[in-house]
Amino acid sequence: MSAVTPPVSTRARLVWSAGVVVAASLPHWSLLPAWLPALLLAAAAWRLAADRFGWRTPGRALRIVLAAAAFSGVIAEFRTINGVIAGSALLVAMVALKLVETRTHRDEVLLMIISYFLVFASLLEHQSPLVGAYLIVFVLVTTAGLVQLGRGGPLLPSARTLGVAAGLLVKAVPVMLVLFVLFPRLPGPLWALPTAPGSGATGLSDSMTPGDISHLVLSDEIAFRVEFEGEPPPLGELYWRGPVLAEFDGRTWTRGFAHRLDEPPRVEYLGAPVEYRVLLEPGTPGWTFALDMPRSWSEPGRLVMASDYQLVARTRRDRGRRLDYRVVSHTRYRTLEPPGLYERHRLTYVPEGSSPRTVALVADWKAQGLAGEALIRRALDHFTREPFRYTLRPARLGAQPVDEFLFDTREGFCEHYASALAIMLRAAGMPARVVTGYHGGERNGFGGYYVVRQSDAHAWTEVWLEDRGWVRIDPTAAIAPERIERGAASAIAGLGSAIGRVGLIRTMRHLWDTFEMRWYEVVVGYGQASQRMFLERLGFVSPSAARLLGTAAVAVAAILALLTIGHALGSRMRRVHDPVVRAFDRFVRRLRRYGIRPPAPHETPSAFAERAALALPGEAAAVRRIAAAYLAARYGPDRNGHALRRLEALVRHFRPRRPRRPAHARA
Amino acid sequence: MATSASPFSKRFAFPKPQAATRSLAEILSKGRLAAWLARGRPSDPPSFVLGRRRIYILPTRFGLAFGGVVLAMLFASINYSASLGFALTFLLVGLGVAMLHHCHANLLGLEVSFAGASPVFAGGEARFRLRLSNPGRVPRYEIALGAEGREFGPVDVPAGESVVIAFGVPATRRGRLEAPRFSIATRHPGALFRAWTYARMDIACIVYPEPAPPGIPRPATRTERGSDTAERGDADFAGLRNALPGDPPRRIAWKAYARTDDLLLKEFAGGGDRVDVLDYDEAPGNDPERRLSVLARWCLDAATEGVSFGLRLPGQTVPVGSGESHLHRCLEALALFPAASEDRQ
Repeated sequence: MSAVTPPVSTRARLVWSAGVVVAASLPHWSLLPAWLPALLLAAAAWRLAADRFGWRTPGRALRIVLAAAAFSGVIAEFRTINGVIAGSALLVAMVALKLVETRTHRDEVLLMIISYFLVFASLLEHQSPLVGAYLIVFVLVTTAGLVQLGRGGPLLPSARTLGVAAGLLVKAVPVMLVLFVLFPRLPGPLWALPTAPGSGATGLSDSMTPGDISHLVLSDEIAFRVEFEGEPPPLGELYWRGPVLAEFDGRTWTRGFAHRLDEPPRVEYLGAPVEYRVLLEPGTPGWTFALDMPRSWSEPGRLVMASDYQLVARTRRDRGRRLDYRVVSHTRYRTLEPPGLYERHRLTYVPEGSSPRTVALVADWKAQGLAGEALIRRALDHFTREPFRYTLRPARLGAQPVDEFLFDTREGFCEHYASALAIMLRAAGMPARVVTGYHGGERNGFGGYYVVRQSDAHAWTEVWLEDRGWVRIDPTAAIAPERIERGAASAIAGLGSAIGRVGLIRTMRHLWDTFEMRWYEVVVGYGQASQRMFLERLGFVSPSAARLLGTAAVAVAAILALLTIGHALGSRMRRVHDPVVRAFDRFVRRLRRYGIRPPAPHETPSAFAERAALALPGEAAAVRRIAAAYLAARYGPDRNGHALRRLEALVRHFRPRRPRRPAHARA
Repeated sequence: MATSASPFSKRFAFPKPQAATRSLAEILSKGRLAAWLARGRPSDPPSFVLGRRRIYILPTRFGLAFGGVVLAMLFASINYSASLGFALTFLLVGLGVAMLHHCHANLLGLEVSFAGASPVFAGGEARFRLRLSNPGRVPRYEIALGAEGREFGPVDVPAGESVVIAFGVPATRRGRLEAPRFSIATRHPGALFRAWTYARMDIACIVYPEPAPPGIPRPATRTERGSDTAERGDADFAGLRNALPGDPPRRIAWKAYARTDDLLLKEFAGGGDRVDVLDYDEAPGNDPERRLSVLARWCLDAATEGVSFGLRLPGQTVPVGSGESHLHRCLEALALFPAASEDRQ
């Protein structure tokens, strides 16, 4: 045995290091440019090959060059090293280089510690249940790696290390739960999670060109989930209001000027209120959705109603995030805010020379004396009288899309109908616009909530009537009523998104979706508000942050104390399993009171008995008898436990008298 | 700091690698803290169990790095309100707590007993063997001994078994070398913490005088039959004994070495009828230590040649005898010879 020198990387140690680092980088792969994972894998392979074939690790100059190259690569890719993704990219690159130069015990242990941080960085980007499950496996493996690589001696068998790591994790979980629940959460951004650039956003956009085929409907992605308090309204009334498009240039609808946030428009609410909670998936670029017509909502500081009645996130920071908010809406309402003079002009504007046939048709109707609601009814009738068809694959439209749709192709989906109706109403001089959003939703039987998918995206028309305010008119309902009654899925049966909505697959999907929603709601969404609610149920009424931290500290200390007590009890109980040993232990303990030390590891029971006999000459015979009985019971043939009973009896009756010193002196 | 011998010393980004294996605890242990912790503690008995009150534990540098990383994670989690980030952060906090507990429990209840210390020559290293016994049902990993700034081990002690491990101390002077205070330490699991205890046992190692270089002729002996005893001595093989430093290499039983890994010396009974009495007064030199060195050399030579010999020191004689145990008795007498050593040291 010689004095310890820092152990140098062996093959097995390198395999552990490289394996854990690659595992830690795995959650990043989907978000990083492909060359970064490739760099890491190459670094791992190179390091192992260098060990196998005895190549030299790169010198200082080469390492500096490599580091500079990786750094510039990341800069070139992201134009910054700020932000979660660019930071992660840099981290992956640097870990790859660190792996290349790993030579000592110290490098390896540091790699393990860095790996924890690497996987942590990925949690700032996505927090799905799968990531959560991966996290558990990853922490187990990395902890095993830390236990292995922290060793100065040779490595343990992998199974044993994983066992040690699992034992550590079992003890770590209670601490995690206590701190997770009690650690005071700050009123951070609404509900967490910045989104990656380029991700999502397959949903609604803030413009609409009915001449192009939309791919929206084909997407099965979830837009948001809704949980109703009490009875949900009928499916046909579930109009989720999104961006309002008021500007038309002859081909494309855009939001234009309509958006003002300064003062919320006035609305007269009728009928019964509908209360619900919306869990919005990230990705929609800044839109929040609410049932027509929202009256009040949680977090009024963050959500605000625009002048076109759309609920929007007030700050740029909250846009495109996963949001969780509650709204009270009335499906019956009357808007009271008349459009201003300029607004009225824009809302009735049809570009010069655009849609001449439509304008002529509407002029014809006006000449017949039709106006107001009668004219609207006539316009809707037009869709049913003529052979119009609802389809997701309409023909492309040319320079006069409205005319071509109304008079030539006569096929399209909601956008075509909403757009055409709005133009017809504008041609009649009535303020009209297109509202986009979602319609309906799919009820999840397990969770009791509704899932609204991108395929539920919809567009309808709103018209201003002097006595009724803004009135929703859905021309798609006239042409394809089943689209409105049963949702998009039934109207487009036979298309891709209909697959998986039947039978077992559908059930499984609902189950998974329920789990996923609860995960986001309970785990990912555990913020200040839900913490306060949960703690109130536990009996903490509005505790201060200091008190929460104090409680958490006490709880962690208590867990440590429990571990210690458990360890002490465990080791005590483990000692007494064999009744023979237990009896002899009792004998040894009794002798201890007379100043006789317990047997040393090398001392046989007989030698111990001789020592005891020497110290207690008056009891020498009894001591020897017990030692003999012990040997007989422990090692001899013991029929019917006779030897054991004899030993136990002897020990029970062993009551030595304390040797009296004066008597000794006299002897 | 000029560690030019180390291949790692050229590394620019990190401090020298030795630093990593040296924990905060060790740094502190060299200072007053260690003395304060050890104050008034009586020597440990030859066999003792590590109890709760004597085990100290502190984070290592890795532990501090881990703590820093966890702190960074906490701030990032707060900044991004990342719930799963909080979960991982707190899981790592729990892991730290569990490792603290495991590290402490790894030493707690370990039984330590003295398992001997073989005599050495001055200039060598005195090795104190300790038997570490694990009475529990869980293996104990990575237990190392430390003494005078050096670390020995680590060893794993399987459940219910015991392992012998030694710590070494340079034996600079002949005599009784009392074992210094030593540490029993562990960094298992994960090297984030170091738990340790100090122990001082009343154990000693006999340090023989360093033998003088060979070639000093022994004075004419009392009962001599021939002059060329050495050559004659080679004649009759008498047996093997353990080789000692300074023995002539041509007498080493290389075949036996190949078989057993023990360095043995062939002994010859050629001089069986010759008796040497090695006298302190006949050893050359005025320095008593020098004389003892020469006597040690003579003892070795005589034993190698298979000559029976005795030792005559001022106020002490070792009767004539032969064999390995006799040799050790003589060397021990030289080691413990009181004359100068006690006063001078």
